[in-house]
Amino acid sequence: MKDLRPWTHAALYGALWGALEATAGTALHLGRVPFRGEIMGLIGLVCLVCLRRLQPRVGVVLVAGMTAIFLKVFTLGGLYPGPLVGIATQTLAVELGFLVARGPWAAALGGIIALGTNPVQRVITAWIVGGTEAATAVLRAVGELGGVRAGWVLVGFVGLAASIGAVGGVGAWRLAGRVVRRLGGGA
Amino acid sequence: MTPALALVLAAAVGASFSSRIEVVAAAAVLACGVAWIADRRAFRRVLRVSLVLGGIFAAAAATAAVAWASGLDRGLMIGGTVLLRLVVLGTAAAVVARSVDAETILRMTSRLGMERLGLVFGLALNALPHLSETASTVWSAHRVRSGGRWVALRRFPALAEVLLAHTGRVADQAAAAAALRGHTSLGRMAAPLVTLARTVVVTGPTGSGKTPLVRSLIEELGRRGIPVAGFLQPAIVEDGEKIGFRIQDAATGEVVELARRVAPGEGKFGTSYRFFDEGFEFGKHALRDIPGGAVLVIDEFGPVELRGGGHWPAVERALRSAEIGGLLVVVRRTLVPALIEALDAADVVVVDLEEEGVDPLSVVMDTLVTDSPVCSHVGGQAMTEE
Repeated sequence: MKDLRPWTHAALYGALWGALEATAGTALHLGRVPFRGEIMGLIGLVCLVCLRRLQPRVGVVLVAGMTAIFLKVFTLGGLYPGPLVGIATQTLAVELGFLVARGPWAAALGGIIALGTNPVQRVITAWIVGGTEAATAVLRAVGELGGVRAGWVLVGFVGLAASIGAVGGVGAWRLAGRVVRRLGGGA
Repeated sequence: MTPALALVLAAAVGASFSSRIEVVAAAAVLACGVAWIADRRAFRRVLRVSLVLGGIFAAAAATAAVAWASGLDRGLMIGGTVLLRLVVLGTAAAVVARSVDAETILRMTSRLGMERLGLVFGLALNALPHLSETASTVWSAHRVRSGGRWVALRRFPALAEVLLAHTGRVADQAAAAAALRGHTSLGRMAAPLVTLARTVVVTGPTGSGKTPLVRSLIEELGRRGIPVAGFLQPAIVEDGEKIGFRIQDAATGEVVELARRVAPGEGKFGTSYRFFDEGFEFGKHALRDIPGGAVLVIDEFGPVELRGGGHWPAVERALRSAEIGGLLVVVRRTLVPALIEALDAADVVVVDLEEEGVDPLSVVMDTLVTDSPVCSHVGGQAMTEE
């Protein structure tokens, strides 16, 4: 018999993330809170980094992400593509971060990719809903309204979100360390 | 999957991947028509005021943006496409949410050969109310202790730490419960330990005399000229505290260190011990070249082994290759069901050292040393020798 804990941890942390997406995520969305994507991104990052620190196995984060998507589909948000794209991207980002780096660097890298791709996720969602032309036109309009090119607007957003992701990733790693100590050693 | 669901999903895919307004309009007609006929309640959900207003706002924004860049005609066409696409996606979401439930997902994952993922989803669904309740309780306690909203926000990491640790604890309990009840579907099942030899499982609480019993048994078997193989794992105790384990060859009496207690978080295999490779190598050596008819002693089989690690591979190899006369395994009480599940043995006798009125050594000797034929298991085929 192999260790069941990676599976149960993935299920439970995925459930926690899914529950927070369904409750806090929906509340932030309905309240039109600014930076709600980044806030939910940080919450997801904390769940995934903690899971990966407790169960340092390749793929465990992916299972948790699938669980969160599964739960999200059956909640108030239903099949609205934005959060689903966000959860999937974030899961892949954190897994990638831990594949290429170790320790807090991995968490920071995961955070940078996860939150740095947040504006890109919005473009993907806009593309799913509105098509290529609408997504490009919205980007161009936003850029021209600000007096700069659309690409620079996107770069600015990406840079800001990535910085938040890096800090959030390191913070999540430290928090996960405290959780491991509280649990008396973890995996 | 029902035909209505398949049609609505096909419409959603078509609308998502086409930028032509005719295709999107046809998909919208198809999705709305199917929803109207097959699930009118789902269709009504799409017509909620907030969703309609949101769709109109998104279409207006797309119209304005494209009109700015490419002219009003183009803007109106793209805006119309966006509105129609939202109608298709909204209808598909409503129909899917009403016709696909958790059970359907579990059946689908099982049919796709991903039963384990289905069980993970099931566990997550079961845990959801518990986690939500915990989150609510922890948040209330946090607010009360913090005194105000801003202090509560500042101490947010402490709240997160409690919630994450609780989730980890529940996950550990779920894994332990699954293992103890023999639910191995979540884990990758290793091949069972197959043996046709007479098997005794010795159990009892810490300090009940399991290892001394094994020593007495080895002496008794030696007196009777019956060969013994395997190992014992006596604890290393300093100032009354267990600080590690040694491993002792049951046949030769040689000893090396196997594990040493370390700081929290630095242990291996989910334990608070650091294991030495030499110890496992020594264990492997003790399980090699076992003489025919020998009694194989494994003291003890722990959670690490029951997860397929530690000494498991060496024990598995020994049982496959050697013609043993009997098998004695020492295990803690909580792991007895999991061990019995992991053993594919013809007959197993469990000896609990706390059971009154029983001489454990006699029971073990009577079970392991009888005049009945010695059974062995070689190369996956059972055979009996006189």
